[in-house]
Amino acid sequence: MSPASLATASDTLAWLAVVSYVVAGALFGLEFAYRLRWLGVAGLAVTVAGLAANVGAAVTRGLAVHRVPWGNMYEFSIIVGIITVTGFLVWVSRRPEIRPLGVFVLLPAVLAMALGGLVFRVPAGPLVPALNSRWIVIHVAAAITGSSVLCLAAVFSILYLVKDRVERRQRPPAPPLVAGAARTADRVEVDQAVARHGGVWDRMPSADTLDHLAYRTAAFGFPIWTFAIIAGAIWAQSAWGRYWGWDPKETWSFISWTVFAAYLHARATAGWRGRRAAWLAIVGLATLLFNFYAVNTVIVGLHSYGGR
Amino acid sequence: MAVELRPPPARPDRRGGGRPGLGDTLRQAWREYRSMRTALVLLVVLAAASILGSLFPQEGVSPQRVDQYFLDHPALAPVMDRLGLFDVFGSAWYMAIYLALLGALVACLVPRSRALYRVLRSRPPRGGDLARYRTRAAFDTPASPDQAMAVARRTLRRSRYRLAVHDGGELAGEKGYLREVSSMLFHVALLVLLVGLAFGKAYGYRGQAAIVEGETWANARVGYDSFSPGRFFGPERLAPFQLRLDDFTNSFYANNTPRAFVSHLTALDLNGHELQSQRVAPNRPMTVDGVRVFQSDYGYVPVVSVRDAKGKELLAPQEVLTLRDPASEVSNGAVKVTRATPQVGLQVVMFTGLRTAPDCPSGLDFCNDPRLSRPVLVVLAYQGDLQADRAQSVFTLDHARLRPLGDRPLLLGPGQSGKLANGMVVSFTGLKQYSVFTLARDPGVPVVAVGAALLLCGLVPSLYVTRRRVWVRATPTGPGTTRVELAGLALQGKAAFEDELARLAQQVERGTLGIVPDRPG
Repeated sequence: MSPASLATASDTLAWLAVVSYVVAGALFGLEFAYRLRWLGVAGLAVTVAGLAANVGAAVTRGLAVHRVPWGNMYEFSIIVGIITVTGFLVWVSRRPEIRPLGVFVLLPAVLAMALGGLVFRVPAGPLVPALNSRWIVIHVAAAITGSSVLCLAAVFSILYLVKDRVERRQRPPAPPLVAGAARTADRVEVDQAVARHGGVWDRMPSADTLDHLAYRTAAFGFPIWTFAIIAGAIWAQSAWGRYWGWDPKETWSFISWTVFAAYLHARATAGWRGRRAAWLAIVGLATLLFNFYAVNTVIVGLHSYGGR
Repeated sequence: MAVELRPPPARPDRRGGGRPGLGDTLRQAWREYRSMRTALVLLVVLAAASILGSLFPQEGVSPQRVDQYFLDHPALAPVMDRLGLFDVFGSAWYMAIYLALLGALVACLVPRSRALYRVLRSRPPRGGDLARYRTRAAFDTPASPDQAMAVARRTLRRSRYRLAVHDGGELAGEKGYLREVSSMLFHVALLVLLVGLAFGKAYGYRGQAAIVEGETWANARVGYDSFSPGRFFGPERLAPFQLRLDDFTNSFYANNTPRAFVSHLTALDLNGHELQSQRVAPNRPMTVDGVRVFQSDYGYVPVVSVRDAKGKELLAPQEVLTLRDPASEVSNGAVKVTRATPQVGLQVVMFTGLRTAPDCPSGLDFCNDPRLSRPVLVVLAYQGDLQADRAQSVFTLDHARLRPLGDRPLLLGPGQSGKLANGMVVSFTGLKQYSVFTLARDPGVPVVAVGAALLLCGLVPSLYVTRRRVWVRATPTGPGTTRVELAGLALQGKAAFEDELARLAQQVERGTLGIVPDRPG
């Protein structure tokens, strides 16, 4: 196939992936609302098909341009889709009960990819010389993976906050003296109440499960993000002669790192565990999004080649 | 993150009952300072402070934009400057935040290492009443208590538990020290990283130098267009070498995006002996005498000469440095003919490949091809007073006392000459390129690299290793039967621990069944 037809194939596959994710998200949403298990299974099948198309889009794009397919924001968005959806599928394979969360995982992936395709799409092309380095493979791959996983953690934190609110509303007033023991008893009561007349939110995993899920995801993403920053510093050292220069992109990746470090500390600090920690993760999400969308397009810096 | 190894919080006042004295207040403050909550708050404050550094232009990143900010906000900018907002990452208050954070880090490492030392020296503690643990397992086995305990010891050791046998045959095991060790390693690595950073900043330097093709440049302070030394870097420390730019080439893809720029650079010692020769390109720096030389920019150098109407030379062939606009590849420069009366200034615009209407994107009368396909020098002449005695840019004219000379610009190809309105003849005699290099020396890099490596080594186990304690007891319950009880405590990963302990119990049980020769049934 010629590079041009490969690039066209890539674009088609990327949109196919987006459409599949939208359909899968809708199926998960319906499963969520009507408790029909087969809808969720169908959603899973459509997700896998979408992921195949998504991987195909990245591979054909890479073949069309003879380099790694993550040289600009559009290509970055395609990879974000792969990472997020793969991460979700891995989780579901280990803990099937989180499948209804699929809609909340696919939604950000779809938004990222659609935004990439509509706003930041650039024709398949080669890289500027500054990006011609084997470090683009390592640094950018780690940055995409780390930031996608951390975003996912923040999504779980948002769900945790919502669910926690729901649970606190439903929970009967706890007997004041034995708070610790009452906690588990409450959960049982809540679960029973849910089983009796559950609303949509009641079918979500418990707040504790979501909080744990958020932590596990953040603990997985944080070392990858750390590695991405270090790899970027090594690349900067060989490309620009300094490993750190407070370029806006570097500054914001450091801010995200600091916020998620604070989140991990908060999880082990009395008074910060739970809701306050979750808010830190959401702040972290905001810094990651700002770094990708605003720093690449609005703020002038050495990393400004991401956009159009 | 490893709360469990900290000394117990705030002991009650030892003097009992009396008012807390100054010593207690200080002790309390110290305890508060090294607490995780302080570290947490400082981390958040550090992040918030860093945001300021990306909102406002920074002296160290884009000095031109700082100057522009001063022009745009003449009242506000000096105040912001006083507050350090144009140099956030070098400002005293930013330094205060991260030093406070590092102080808290060290303050918390001291008791943590002491506690870790104590834990590693002492034996895993007794379990006490096993019934009070939430995670338990028990089974009956025909093996004798001693045999069962031997199997339990072997099983736990295989699972890398550190063991102790207490009075009454109770077996205590503990594992997961790596979590605390690596968490501390991570925090120490942060310190190493910062020391390396500060050391490199203080004893290193960075500078930029432009070299025209064919010319040799000496590594001396005056040769740099910009030079930022560390606090303890004296210019006399500049390594003694010279650089010669043998050739520079740049190329473009079909869609006019840059493909490559390559400088053929030769390093020479001060006597002119060649030291090394290399192609220097983006991501391919050259190292000379501990100094790294990076390709960072390039531009064009048209050679221009000027004669008066009678043919007398006013300006011998001069290399005119021009500033290149990276978007259009059009370069701008200035020629100052001070010997003419009145003085003449030429503003020159160099196109690498001038194209006109039909060959350009629709709507444009002319455009530029970034490839060096049809170089054209557009000359706009001015006359009057150049004010050459005042400091001014080499790339522009000071138009204050100049007025246009003639109403049409000259268009010159290489080798061509053209006549200005006052009869002067401008010749475009040749074209060269220059290459801009960033030269940098940072002696802190190895330290920073070690710090970063330790950081990564410490990070993963500090998040994933889990600390566990397990106790095993065996009591004879009748003739030929022994009850084996296991109980455990997990400080992290509690959800997975239930299964873990159940598996351990199973392994022990299977082991004890294996050693009994004549087991019933």
